[in-house]
Parts: sequence; structure tokens; C-alpha cells
Amino acid sequence: MPFTITLPAPLSPLHHNEPSDSPSLDSDGDTDMPPPSKRPKLSTRSIVTPGETVTDDPQWMRGHGTYTHPTSPQILSSVAGTLLKTNKLLSIRPLRARYTPEIGDLVVGRVVEVQTKRWKVDLSAPLLAHLPLSAINLPGGILRKRTSTDELAIRTFFGEGDLLVAEVQSVYQDGAASLHTRSLKYGKLRNGVFLSVSGTGGGGGGVVRSRRQVWTVQTANGGGEVDVVLGVNGYIWICKHVGGELVEGKGGRHAGAGMGVNNLEEKVGEGMYENRNESIGEETRWEIARLSGCVRALVEGGCRVDEEMVMRAYEASVEDEGVGGEEGEEGGEYLGGERGRRVVREALRAVHAARE
Amino acid sequence: MPREAEPSINDRAFLLQALQENIRLDGRALDAYRHLDISFGDDYGVADVRLGKTRILTRISASITAPRPDRKFDGIFTITTELSPLASPAFESGRQSDLETHLSRILETSLRRSQALSTESLCLVAGQKVWALRADIHVLDYDGGLIDACCLSTLTALRHYRIPDTSVKGGDLTVYTSLERDPVPLALLHHPVCVTLNFFESGEKWLVDATLMEQQCSEGEIVVAANPQGEVCLVQKGGGGEVDALVLLRCVEVAMGKVRELGKAMDGALAKDAKRRDKGGMSRELRAENER
Amino acid sequence: MPLDTSTYHLALLRLDGRRWNELRRLHAQISTQASADGSSYLEMGNTKVICTIAGPAEVRGAARREGAERDNAVVTVEIGIAGFSGVDRRRGGGGGGKGRGDKRTTEMQNTIASAFQSTLFTHLYPHSTITISLHILSQDGSLLAACLNAATLALIDAGVPMSDYIVACTSGLTPPKSGTESADPLLDLNGMEEQELPWLTVGTLGAGERVSVLVLESRVQVGRLEGMLAVGVDGCKQVREILDGVVRRQGKRVLESVIS
Repeated sequence: MPFTITLPAPLSPLHHNEPSDSPSLDSDGDTDMPPPSKRPKLSTRSIVTPGETVTDDPQWMRGHGTYTHPTSPQILSSVAGTLLKTNKLLSIRPLRARYTPEIGDLVVGRVVEVQTKRWKVDLSAPLLAHLPLSAINLPGGILRKRTSTDELAIRTFFGEGDLLVAEVQSVYQDGAASLHTRSLKYGKLRNGVFLSVSGTGGGGGGVVRSRRQVWTVQTANGGGEVDVVLGVNGYIWICKHVGGELVEGKGGRHAGAGMGVNNLEEKVGEGMYENRNESIGEETRWEIARLSGCVRALVEGGCRVDEEMVMRAYEASVEDEGVGGEEGEEGGEYLGGERGRRVVREALRAVHAARE
Repeated sequence: MPREAEPSINDRAFLLQALQENIRLDGRALDAYRHLDISFGDDYGVADVRLGKTRILTRISASITAPRPDRKFDGIFTITTELSPLASPAFESGRQSDLETHLSRILETSLRRSQALSTESLCLVAGQKVWALRADIHVLDYDGGLIDACCLSTLTALRHYRIPDTSVKGGDLTVYTSLERDPVPLALLHHPVCVTLNFFESGEKWLVDATLMEQQCSEGEIVVAANPQGEVCLVQKGGGGEVDALVLLRCVEVAMGKVRELGKAMDGALAKDAKRRDKGGMSRELRAENER
Repeated sequence: MPLDTSTYHLALLRLDGRRWNELRRLHAQISTQASADGSSYLEMGNTKVICTIAGPAEVRGAARREGAERDNAVVTVEIGIAGFSGVDRRRGGGGGGKGRGDKRTTEMQNTIASAFQSTLFTHLYPHSTITISLHILSQDGSLLAACLNAATLALIDAGVPMSDYIVACTSGLTPPKSGTESADPLLDLNGMEEQELPWLTVGTLGAGERVSVLVLESRVQVGRLEGMLAVGVDGCKQVREILDGVVRRQGKRVLESVIS
């Protein structure tokens, strides 16, 4: 089946497979293309820019990042990004864009407004997300019904400026997300630092949707266990792990990753909405800082941020300590500049080595 | 900020459908102005322009002040616009809306920057005394065509205005009252008039002198200010839908035709008023003789 | 300061040595500000503009009532003119530009907002605002054009869908040759030429002849308009190519550095 994808002349050599007579593209067994997946290999693809004709073949359907004129079958690009083919759907993934919520996303957010029955949460998405009072775990018991007393005491759960980790429960018509924290995995965040990097919207670096977004790191240098929460919206929380001793009243969000979303059998501690940090040792603070430095270096280097990359970078930075530290340079722990790049390079090498 | 009520979807669809068949809701041709009526007050420099339902009253007044230090030889000419709730509930007094900025900026450019009024002629004693001329534009009723009507009204008022005659003798300035010497007309170098066109159907169709509703349904507008001698002083298409360059040129051409039309209407109205006043002048002379 | 532009006809070279149809050096970068959703830095000759985009983000505070029932995103533009940007230092206009209220700036804001309101796919972001902040660091003519170009780049960087680039440039008219009526059009005027010659700003959508912005504020014979417009539209085509190159280079860089 013949079809053409017109390309701008100067860039055509860069473009990936464009055999206009390739029969493989419209069958399932296409060989040159990576299988349609949510995460394509971006590095092999070239850029389309707004207003560029992607194809004039009517067999393709237009997806995100494209538009058509009512009069012609041409599909044009509306953003600058990489072309993505999912079966017969053409979409363009922008190089950079704001995060758009999808159901099931694990996000880190900041409460910006408290209303009578819900919170408005900033996810760095086009619209603020809602967190209804009915979608949080109320302290003092399992499956407790929401009462008017809870409404009055809404500020005792989350106030303006509080950080929380939650899951996108649904997305409204206008693109706003509705969140829930009905699991011990979710809830208020404390004992750590907040980082804001670019989120899942674009195709460049930043946090990507992956299998595990929350995990515990056994840190070096006696730092103990540290939790890393990668919100797919690009907000990241790195904090001391306090799950080990699940003491009554010291609940907090710290349960293992294996817990189910609706697993309400667990106890919701009274301390869930506690506003004070626990005591954190100096070593732990160092390692939290190191982890956040690694994430920053990864983002600066334009890498994706996920568990594997963060862990490799962390290991690399621990090893790098011995190499770079001898010069006694000022701020020897700082993972910026050349040192950051070195760590990223090292991490990438480790990732590739692990693949092979 | 109160906003103009948007036309309903059905209203809009009806209007656009009619336009597709080249029919305007008030039965005008696509390039026709509404009924234009220019009248004058008893004093010089008061012009009342009615364009359909839109009604603009402009009054010119003059006083003597010191010039700006950096412009010693230039008089001062200010244009103020008053969009009060009188004209439309969407206007709010005391706050400058976008429309008002847009309007005053277009008037400034078309009348002031294009040197329609020579500000040098308003200078009395260099560096000390100049005429400060002021045009107060009041919108009395608003149904679209604001820019066209305001510009026409201001220019007509300027042409109608008579400034008191003065003489300078050895640094002494004498301003004569209208009884001593007849006031003199202003030195207008050319007569620029604004014409607004609105675009529809992705820039394929344009209308002259859109009513408020047509304006709200349109995709964009272009304002052309020009004088009847064929000089363009301002073309402004600030965003809105895109229009083919050739269509734009065609629009400017159409606007030129309209400018001549409006210029003629203005000339006619001024001539008629002059005639009326001339009669009055005769009677005054007669009366003066009686007194003697 | 009067400027002698009458020598043009001797060598057909302009004051800065360009020919009639040459643009000044157009240099641009995107993704310059890490904290903004999208950003760009653009130089057209000595006119230098930084643009940052915030949003699409939810309407907050006082603006909310106005935009609440909208099904489209609202585009707002803020222009800050640095006090040191012109030849004379301007008071009250420095820094973040709180001291605006200048009608020319307001008009420019409205023009830019209106141009992008109809080009961006605002229907994809209901109830939100897209704020374009322009910071003018240095002005030497073609200010509106530079602002439009910078805003286009920053919006592309922010990943806001649009139907095509809005590109803009200026075109002017040489003084008539003594003795004849002919006057040649010029492309991309600098600040000095702008003060002396009649000129217009034209902004087109993409490389076609679809004009989105057209601003002429000087007196000119109606017959000359066609020539000026044609040169301007042609200049826009060149500008689009340059901007497209900037976006592609940035895209390539991003793709090269990303290893997934």
C-alpha cells in the first residue's frame, strides 16, 4: 500500500525509515519500526515542527499534537517534537510540555487552596487538581465515614503549602485531575526535600512513567534507608524512610510498594497528618542531598529519571567521591558542573552495560 | 469588568449563515455604511456624528498654556475619549479598558502622528505660550463602528472649530474675542478618516462598518486610516484570524473608496453648516448697525 | 536626530551596509530559562528580547471571574521594557516593568495576545491561561516583530499546540529618488531607519501569504503599500526558515542527549 510522508528537504537523511513502498508498515509484523509502545525510542527519530505536513495519506488517523484542515486530508503538526506511530494513529510528542494527568499516575502535589470539602492541588498541570475530602484516609480507623466534623477540621489534614503524594483517580472533561490518597502509600510528605523537574509531558528528559515510582534506597556512608518518590508530574520527594518501625501512632506514608491501592485493612496512624519532621541524622541528610543532586544532574544532562537511572547515578556518585574528593575542592559534595556530567556519563555506561 | 453580552450560538449561526449568502441582517450591502448623520452644535467645534445607532459627540476646546520644555515650537493637542456606561453597560467609567486604549491609540496615530493638525501652528510665543487644544470625545450610544465614528467626529469637529484670533506685538500677546475679530479655522494639513473592515469565513469575506453584533461574530478586523488624497496614515490589523495578503490589499483599496465617500459627506455637512451660520453672521452685522 | 538617508540611491546600500532585501542577523535560542514552561531569547540585529511562558495554568485570583466560563485558554501578554534598552534611559520602565501603562506597550500587548489567541489551539486547555512575558533588553527597531518571533519560539518550547509559526518582520520605503517618483521597499528596518522612513510590521502565519498582524503607522501613498507588503511577507518567509532551524537544532540536541 503506497503512502508517503513528506519531509522537509534538509532533514530527510536524518529521518528514520521512510521507504514509501514499505509494505511492512501497515501489517503487524513490521520489521524496521519498534513495536508500538508507550515509550518509543526517541533518539532515532527526527523532529517535526508546527505547521509541517506530516502526511497527506488519508489512511492515518490524527492523534495528539496534530491537526487537519477540514478541506484536505493532510495531517499537520501542531507542536515541535517527535513522530509517534501507534498502529494507524499518528501523534507527535512535544519536546517539552506541561504534564497532562492520566488515570493511575502517581503524582506529588502541593496544596494551594483549601475549600469546604476538597483541596486544590498544584501538579504543574494546566489545571489544579482536586482532592476531595472523601478521597483521603481519615485518621482513626478503617473505612470510617466522613462526617461534618471532618469538614470543619479539614485544615488539620492538609493546609496550604502541604506536599502530598497521591494517585490520579479520574480526569475531568476539561483535563483537571481528581486525586485520591486512599492507600498507605499516599498521603502527606515530610522528612525530606522537594525537587521540581520537568514531567512526563514532553519527550526530553525528566520523570517518565515507569513500573516503580516509589522505592527505598539503602544508602551508603551509613545514611540508612531513604525513600524516593518520583511523581510523574515532575515533582520529586526524597525523604528519610521511617517505615521499619511501624509504631502505633507513627504511621506516615512508608508502607512497602507491594500494598494495594484499596488495601484498607492497614491501620491509618494518627500521625498520618503530622506536621513535624522526625529527627534525621546528619548522614541521612547527606545522602538525601546526594540523591537530589543525582536527580538534578540527570535532568541537566537531559536523561530520563526513573529508578534505574537514579540508582546508577547514585552508585556512580558514591564511587566518584573517592576520585574527585582528593583535590579538596570547595563544596566537594556538590553534583553540578563537570562532576554532575561525569556522574551522568558513568550512570549511562552502567545502564548500557547492564543491558548487554 | 463587565463584559458585552455574547450573542447566543443560534444568533451567531444565523448571522454567519446569512453572510454566506451575502445578506446582512440589516439589509445593507457588504460594503455599505449605515446612515450617516453629521450635525453641529451652536458653538464652533461641536460635532455630533450618528452612524446607525452609534452616536459620538466631540467637543474641541482651547486654552493657552506653556509648551512642553522639549518641544518649544509645538502646541499641545490632546484627545480624550470617554466611554461611559451611558453608551453601553459594558463600559465602565474610571477604568481604561482595552477598547479605550485601542481607540485612543488609533486616533492618536491617525490624527496626531500623521500631522493632520499642524501643532506648530498652535504656537503663539515660542517657548512661552501655545494653544493647548483638546478634543473630548463622548460616546453617547454604541452599536459598533466606534473607531470610524470617533475619528470622523473628531475630524469634523476640528474642521468646524474656530480658534480665537491672536496677534503678537513686541512680545505682548493679544487674544481677540469673537466680537473683536472673527475666530480663524485650524490649520489642518490633510483630512484622515478611519474605515474599519471585519473579516469572516477565514478571511475570505469582509464587511464595512460592522454593527456590534457583526463585530462580535467576526474573526478579526482591520482599521485603515487614509485621507481622500490617497495617502494611508495607518493600517492596523492586530492579530485575529489570518487573512490573505491580497485580500488585505483589496480591503485597503475598498477602504480608500469609503474614505472618499466619508470625506464627501463631511464636506457636505460642513458646507451646509457654514451656510446656516453665514445667515446668522449677516443678522449679527445688521444688529450691530442698529446699535450704532 | 535627523538622519541622512538620501545616500541610499548612490550605492543601493543602507546605512548598516545591507541591501534592500537583507535581514539583519537573526539569532535565537530556546529553552533558555529552566524555571519557565517555555522560554526563548531572540536578537534581530540589536533588538534583543527574552520571552518566557507560564502556563497553561489555572486562572488564579482576580482574573478568574473573567475567564471562568471560558472554554478556551486565555492568552495574556506582559511586556517589560528595560530602562536601559533605549538610547535614553527611561524612568519607571525598568526591571519587571511595573511602570507600564504606556499606550504603545499596551497596544503591543493586545496585538500579540490577539494574534496568538487565534493561532494557538486554546480549546485544548479550557479554564486556563497562557501568560507570555516579554522582556525587552535592547531596542533597535522592529520591536513588535521581534516580540512576536520570540513569543512564537517560547510557545513552541512550552509545547503549546499551534497551527503554524507566527513570524514577523518590518518593511519600509526608501525616500524617493530626487526627481523621480520611485521609492524602493526595504526589509527589516533598524531603529534609525524606523525614525526616518515610513514602515510597517507584518506578521504572517507560516510561510504562506496569510497575514495575521499588519501595523502601519506612517503616511504612505496607497500604491506603495503593495510593494512594502510583498517585501514584508517575503521577509517573514526567511524569518520562518531561521526560526524553524533554531527549533530543529534544539530538538536534535534534546534527542541526542536523551538516552532511553
